[in-house]
Amino acid sequence: MATKTIKVEYLARVEGEGALDLSIANGEVTNAQLRIFEPPRFFEAFLRGRSYAEVPDIVARICGICPIAYQMGAVHAAENAFGIKVEGQLRALRRLIYCGEWIESHGLHVVMLHAPDFLGFDDAIQMASQHGEVVKKALALKKAGNEILRVLGGREIHPVSVRPGGFHRVPTKAELAPLAEQLKAVRDTAVELTHWVAGFDFPDLEQDYEFVALRHEDEYPFNEGRLVSNKGIDIDIAEFDSSFEERHMAHSTALHAAIKARGAYLVGPMARYALNFDKLPPTVQALAQEVGLGPVCRNPFKSIIVRSLEILFAVDEALRLIAAYERPAEAFVPVKPRAGVGYGCTEAPRGICWHRYEFDAEGTVMDARIIPPTSQNQPSIEADLKSVASGMVEEADEAIKYRCEQTIRNYDPCISCSAHFLNLNIKRS
Amino acid sequence: MVLGVGNPDRGDDGVGPAVLDRLRGRLPAGAEGQVSGGDFLNLINDWAEVEGLVVVDAAAALGTPGRVHRIDATSGDMPLPRQPASSHAFGLPEAIALARSLGQAPGQIVVLAVEGEDFATGAGLSPMVAAAVDGIAVKALDEVLALLGLEASADA
Repeated sequence: MATKTIKVEYLARVEGEGALDLSIANGEVTNAQLRIFEPPRFFEAFLRGRSYAEVPDIVARICGICPIAYQMGAVHAAENAFGIKVEGQLRALRRLIYCGEWIESHGLHVVMLHAPDFLGFDDAIQMASQHGEVVKKALALKKAGNEILRVLGGREIHPVSVRPGGFHRVPTKAELAPLAEQLKAVRDTAVELTHWVAGFDFPDLEQDYEFVALRHEDEYPFNEGRLVSNKGIDIDIAEFDSSFEERHMAHSTALHAAIKARGAYLVGPMARYALNFDKLPPTVQALAQEVGLGPVCRNPFKSIIVRSLEILFAVDEALRLIAAYERPAEAFVPVKPRAGVGYGCTEAPRGICWHRYEFDAEGTVMDARIIPPTSQNQPSIEADLKSVASGMVEEADEAIKYRCEQTIRNYDPCISCSAHFLNLNIKRS
Repeated sequence: MVLGVGNPDRGDDGVGPAVLDRLRGRLPAGAEGQVSGGDFLNLINDWAEVEGLVVVDAAAALGTPGRVHRIDATSGDMPLPRQPASSHAFGLPEAIALARSLGQAPGQIVVLAVEGEDFATGAGLSPMVAAAVDGIAVKALDEVLALLGLEASADA
């Protein structure tokens, strides 16, 4: 009996530390494990005893790329617990800052981290020598996203203006005007980028995912909505535990999330897109059609196209919000804490990020749970890896490694967030 | 351009911004100063217009806090390990390599790497690094003057 082990000891172009073990026995992939060995970060534990007001700035530190996702989850949960509703322009500003995060995060991943996989380059530095114009434009796109964070959040990384009830400070109309100019200048880039990535060669792989995303009655989702799936889930975010559970796995410092009844599920751009295609503006829908992408995409390698479409959506949505902006009289609505449990769930670039906090009467955190997107996607990543490797067991280890790393990067995984990556080990027998 | 890299709330990591602070009003015509938190990707497109770049950044503790290591990164990669530990932030060597790959790296690049001692959250500069800031500012200014083909500063 021939046993073969293929190991990727440290995965590049993902955030955090992880590895991959593949076991191949008698020509079959018997095991595909994404080993996350980044040390646990204990955020939930050290939130206990802190004031609700401190939470947004603490959880922002979970991720340098998607701090808004964590801040938004935290403020919505606090507001949910305290019976507060943030509406009007303050709500619009929250969507705007989220647009900034999607633009910078997706822009970074699509061009700098993921595109090199499809073009046979080791990294963006190599790719830039032959695709310099795309890289330059992508850098401008990313910068436009970061600029939204800087203007609304006070700084690009770990913004400091988000608070329960709204913002510490809201911008003037004049402060947003240059953002609009910058966004208009990069809008064509988003369209070109979508065409560019849609022209890549994609491996054949269609997976029968259970997509899970927020769904809002009027909007492509950022901060609000019900949790829905294409296989029948339609629940309030507070009912997360009724359908989902987290499981400890020996090979990962990040918990694996699963649908209790069915197991693995998928969150992120492909899930949002499939479950909310009808909420995308006609311009984005038309571009999807132009590049040959239907309203549902089940090929994980094509997630790069969906991300590009979401960049265009975020640019257009940001422009719409800025055009309609009137500075609110108050930067935040008053917040009066009370004892209770609050839930927040928002669409981080990588998928839903679910929060639950228990507060005492003064608003002190008694208990906190945060379920980031990458930990939810781990079982789907492993299922994809098994499918991908199964189709190429006879190929050289290097070829398998390359394709498996690409498969993992389809998810833009943020391992630092989820451990709260990659060695590839292939065992053949 | 003089680029001061670092976070003023992380102890000696703030030496780059501190040096830029000292240089305020002292840079000759044709030179400008900029502070960066370290997200170099957002700076690369601006470098297309930059002829000479002087970077002041904190470096790992090697036993002599405040000591400056001058690295000429004009040609070839910087002699620093390139570890793809995080995909989310390109370090300075990666940024220079990418700018070079894009054909828009500054013609001359000098890095003044300052040995740090303490990088604690919320801390200011450690005493030895703080004491070295004035001298590092003079060194940075001299680099700028040299790039511009001017005489070294009198207080060097």
